[in-house]
Amino acid sequence: MSEQAIMTEEETVTTIDTEKGNFSYDTNYEYDAGIGLNEDVINYIVDVKDEDDWVRNFRLKALNVFNRKDMPTHWATKDLENIDFDVIRYYLSKGQTPSRSWDDVPDEVKETFERLGIPEQERKFLAGVEAQFDSEASYSRMKEDLEKEGVIFVGSTEGLKEHPEIFRKFFGKVIPTNDNKFAALNSAVFSGGSFIYVPPGVKVSQPLQAYFRINAENFGQFERTLIIADEGAELTYMEGCTAPKFETATLHSAVVELVALKNAKIQYITVQNWSNNVFNLVTKRAIAEEGAEVKWIDCNIGSRLTMKYPGVVLNGEGARGEVLSIALANDGQHQDTGAKMIHRANNTSSNIISKSISIGEGRSTYRGQVHIPDHLKNCKNNTECDALLINTNSRTDTFPAITVRGDGNSVQHEASVSKVSAEQIFYMMQRGLSEGEAMSLSVNGFVNDLVKYFPMEYSVELKRLIDLEMEGSVG
Amino acid sequence: MPIGPIGDNGLFDQFIASHSGENAWIEKRRKAAWNQFHELPMPRKKDESWRFASRLAFEFNDFKLVEQPDATTIGKVVERSNLNSSALARLVFADNYLVHEDPLSMDLQTKGVVFESFDQAVQKHGGLLEQYLFREEAHLGSEKFVALNTALSNCGGVVYVPKGVVVDQPLLVYHWATKENVAVFPHTLIIAEEGASVNVIDVYQSLDSDAPAFCAASGNIYAEANAQVMRKCVQNWNQSTISFQNDATAVKKDGVTKTLAVNLGSKRARFENQVRMAEPGSHATLYSLTVAQGDQEFDQRTYQSHDAPNAVSDLLYKNALLDNSRTIFSGMINVAKDAQHTDAYQTNRNLLLSPEADANSLPGLEIQANDVKCSHGATTGQLDPDELFYMMQRGIHKRTAQQLMVFGFFEEVIEKFDNEEIKNNVRELVQSKFHL
Amino acid sequence: MSNQIEIKNLNVSIADKPILKDFSLELPRGEVHALMGPNGTGKSTLAKVIAGHEDYEVESGEILVDGTNILGMEPDEIGRLGVFLAFQYPMEIPGVTIANFIRAALQARQEEGENFDAPAYYRELYDKMDLLKMDRKFTSRSINEGFSGGEKKRCEILQMAMLNPTYGIMDETDSGLDIDALKIVSNGVNLMRNENRGILVITHYQRLLDYIIPDKVHVMWDGKIVKTGDKELAKELEAKGYNWVKNELAVA
Repeated sequence: MSEQAIMTEEETVTTIDTEKGNFSYDTNYEYDAGIGLNEDVINYIVDVKDEDDWVRNFRLKALNVFNRKDMPTHWATKDLENIDFDVIRYYLSKGQTPSRSWDDVPDEVKETFERLGIPEQERKFLAGVEAQFDSEASYSRMKEDLEKEGVIFVGSTEGLKEHPEIFRKFFGKVIPTNDNKFAALNSAVFSGGSFIYVPPGVKVSQPLQAYFRINAENFGQFERTLIIADEGAELTYMEGCTAPKFETATLHSAVVELVALKNAKIQYITVQNWSNNVFNLVTKRAIAEEGAEVKWIDCNIGSRLTMKYPGVVLNGEGARGEVLSIALANDGQHQDTGAKMIHRANNTSSNIISKSISIGEGRSTYRGQVHIPDHLKNCKNNTECDALLINTNSRTDTFPAITVRGDGNSVQHEASVSKVSAEQIFYMMQRGLSEGEAMSLSVNGFVNDLVKYFPMEYSVELKRLIDLEMEGSVG
Repeated sequence: MPIGPIGDNGLFDQFIASHSGENAWIEKRRKAAWNQFHELPMPRKKDESWRFASRLAFEFNDFKLVEQPDATTIGKVVERSNLNSSALARLVFADNYLVHEDPLSMDLQTKGVVFESFDQAVQKHGGLLEQYLFREEAHLGSEKFVALNTALSNCGGVVYVPKGVVVDQPLLVYHWATKENVAVFPHTLIIAEEGASVNVIDVYQSLDSDAPAFCAASGNIYAEANAQVMRKCVQNWNQSTISFQNDATAVKKDGVTKTLAVNLGSKRARFENQVRMAEPGSHATLYSLTVAQGDQEFDQRTYQSHDAPNAVSDLLYKNALLDNSRTIFSGMINVAKDAQHTDAYQTNRNLLLSPEADANSLPGLEIQANDVKCSHGATTGQLDPDELFYMMQRGIHKRTAQQLMVFGFFEEVIEKFDNEEIKNNVRELVQSKFHL
Repeated sequence: MSNQIEIKNLNVSIADKPILKDFSLELPRGEVHALMGPNGTGKSTLAKVIAGHEDYEVESGEILVDGTNILGMEPDEIGRLGVFLAFQYPMEIPGVTIANFIRAALQARQEEGENFDAPAYYRELYDKMDLLKMDRKFTSRSINEGFSGGEKKRCEILQMAMLNPTYGIMDETDSGLDIDALKIVSNGVNLMRNENRGILVITHYQRLLDYIIPDKVHVMWDGKIVKTGDKELAKELEAKGYNWVKNELAVA
């Protein structure tokens, strides 16, 4: 087949959804903390949110830690130096109380989420939805029967106000403020995010969903999510994120803390599709107590730079932790992702499967940490990292760190790098597929054994996103 | 040769004065290195290239250059320098002094093969060595120790094999430490010209079983087009020795190098090994086996640099850990943009034989070319209880079964030695470390 | 009676789940018994328990080998006592060659200070390998590593032939074998039949018993032997299926 023919065929491929998240509305914000970061900004946030003094102190201390800590460029990419903290707006909202009905949501916000398909998904398969527009949730609603069972699913602003006794007990306990520079930044200016509490024995069968939307330019979103599954409770939480593509870089720096008490199960699913000018620097960690299970499913498709290493602290005997991640790095993108498994009790097991695809000049990096100290017995970790490089200028790095001591503990780590073979593509094209389609099929095949663990709706979404990314990546 | 503590400027000046016969370029490199040694800070735990390593707690001035060993000592070390009886030639160094030499046959000498002690070689072949000696830059963390070796080294084997010449049996070099607190600086340089072939064995050994000593060794291998170089190192210092070894290998078009390291000795041993696939079709294998016992710490850092296409590199590092010992394996495969069709592998396997032992693994890949086959694997585990049961069912005593399994674990590396006598000697050395 | 394996009222569980329930069996020297039963009925557990595997908890009962109670003994002691287990899934042991392995097993049976006759050992090893149609290059290969299913099973028979046990327990030795391999393996077992050796053939299928003709056939169900007969029982079982036994039990 001639190159010309390939090009033509490619152009006819539908482009309807590539730019799905790339729109924004001119919005009048009632609350705006202004540009730059200082104590005044923090006091403004505390005041408009009407927070207690302990929160104010927590935030101010965190600002101090943030200012004191160096950028982690001694191990991470120098691109971090391009973030200008002085030009960012740290708090923007139209009010602090989310609506319980889409009808009450301001028009342009409602339209935003309608274009992204959120109300439709809610009707179809979700147990609850929270939609955050810049700094605060605009909409938050959960099915009534869950409310009756004592499940709490609200924005974290509301959670902090309405349920301080549970909130404060776990807040900042999984990820301390000084964990890293960006966790400190979040601790200083956090706003929005979800607060979930599932009472003992309650199993939430349908997913709870949060949707994070950045609308404004030069804005930083710093949501803070805290999820607690009490003994024997189960839940699945899904988050999606998009932003329009602005001229200047946007910052998203979330902190997500999960607490799975005895025999609880938490599944946390992310499909991150920020526009590729977003610095996405997120700290996510869970504590799993005795017999508990935490599974992170993490798909990173968008952003300019993502640095995210979901972790599980396996704190109780028999706890299980899992990270399944897929990263897709296209031109101008760096997906620096990975996983942390900290074993702290006997008979704990962890599993990490990471698949990355680098397209064009995209770069994907895996960083991992597995730690099994000497007083533990019968702990197991399995890590698999596979990287697929599409073009000659694509790049991938793998940096795991594994420490094992103790009795009967074992780990295995494997990583491999491959490319889509030319013969494979030729074979498919001979059967009549375009090169783009063949490439998509190969890439989907590469991630398929991982995607099968995802909930159906998300695997379909992911497949669609991969198809879109693969378009135009060939030739 | 001067005598005195190794951190001392006066000692270095005397060293330079006593080596006035060396070419000017060597002196220049030594002086620059000496300055660098002093300027560079002692590596710290928080340095990324020293991740997981325990703190370096020693003073350079605790170790010194010493006088030549006496005749009785020389007699002893020469007699014990016997890993391989079929070696074509042998050099025995003790405390940095050449104390014995079994030279090459006249035939090989006439063909232009050089196998001489560092001192003799730089005097006689200075011009030839200029483009090779002290040329490799260290970048895996031990820059300070490499600089020290460059400044103060005057022992070790220099091997040069001219175009097309095949040296088919091993050349054997022994490095002994015989005195308390001695510092030794062996430097190995192997140059195989186009189509040449050579096989060198370095053995590092202490005479006394517990006299403290310090070693900063360097080894550089240059394999030109189609050359074949095999180098084996047996590091068997006593367990009071602190040792650093920094090896760098460059492989040219269709050249083949194979390095095999057996690490048994030292209180703490840092071993850095970098190989550069400089031209298309080059092929390098890096094997290592380590038995760590007591409080030993073995710190291994490797770098497989693929600068050219169609090259193959394969690394296999196996560690067995007893008692409270520690191992660190940190390996990196780097594939440059244009190094398409690279085949690079890296495997680290750790066998924990004690619950107090500590194995750390940092395998790494940096890949910038897409049409490559690269993989790394790291496993850490214990002897498999099902395998043990199987062997015991056959009536084999538990300890024997464990021992067989440990040897089985190492056999994958030992079988890469091409000579039965060396294989058996290595097996014996390994065995002597087990009290199973 | 002392020249036999005698299992009396054995109760065994794994993680509190009972597997063998009041199991009894006598296997005299000179006889070949077949133990048949559907999957999951406890056949392999029995084999492992006789061999002294630590994962199984023996709650009550006895296993006497020539009059010696072996419960609580280490696996290697039981092995040296003359009990050989041919594993259903033989282990792969990297780096340990067949020759060294069998040699170590034979040496473990020698008296302290006794010399090992290496040339005689290799003569015998090669003879037996020829008998089992095993290539001599196998001796220098690691045990079972990269072996096909048939090669692994032949390697088990080779070990049994070399170690010359008083009792052989063949755990599903026929599984995964094609008909040629099955004949070779059966032939090997048949050559080892004699009045001083008892053999227990554990199998799911009657097929193997066309080649190794048993003196007795036991049918196992839910942790114990429910039926014992001669070789015809195996054929009947094959024809009627295990449900036949189940139904009969239900009636009784």
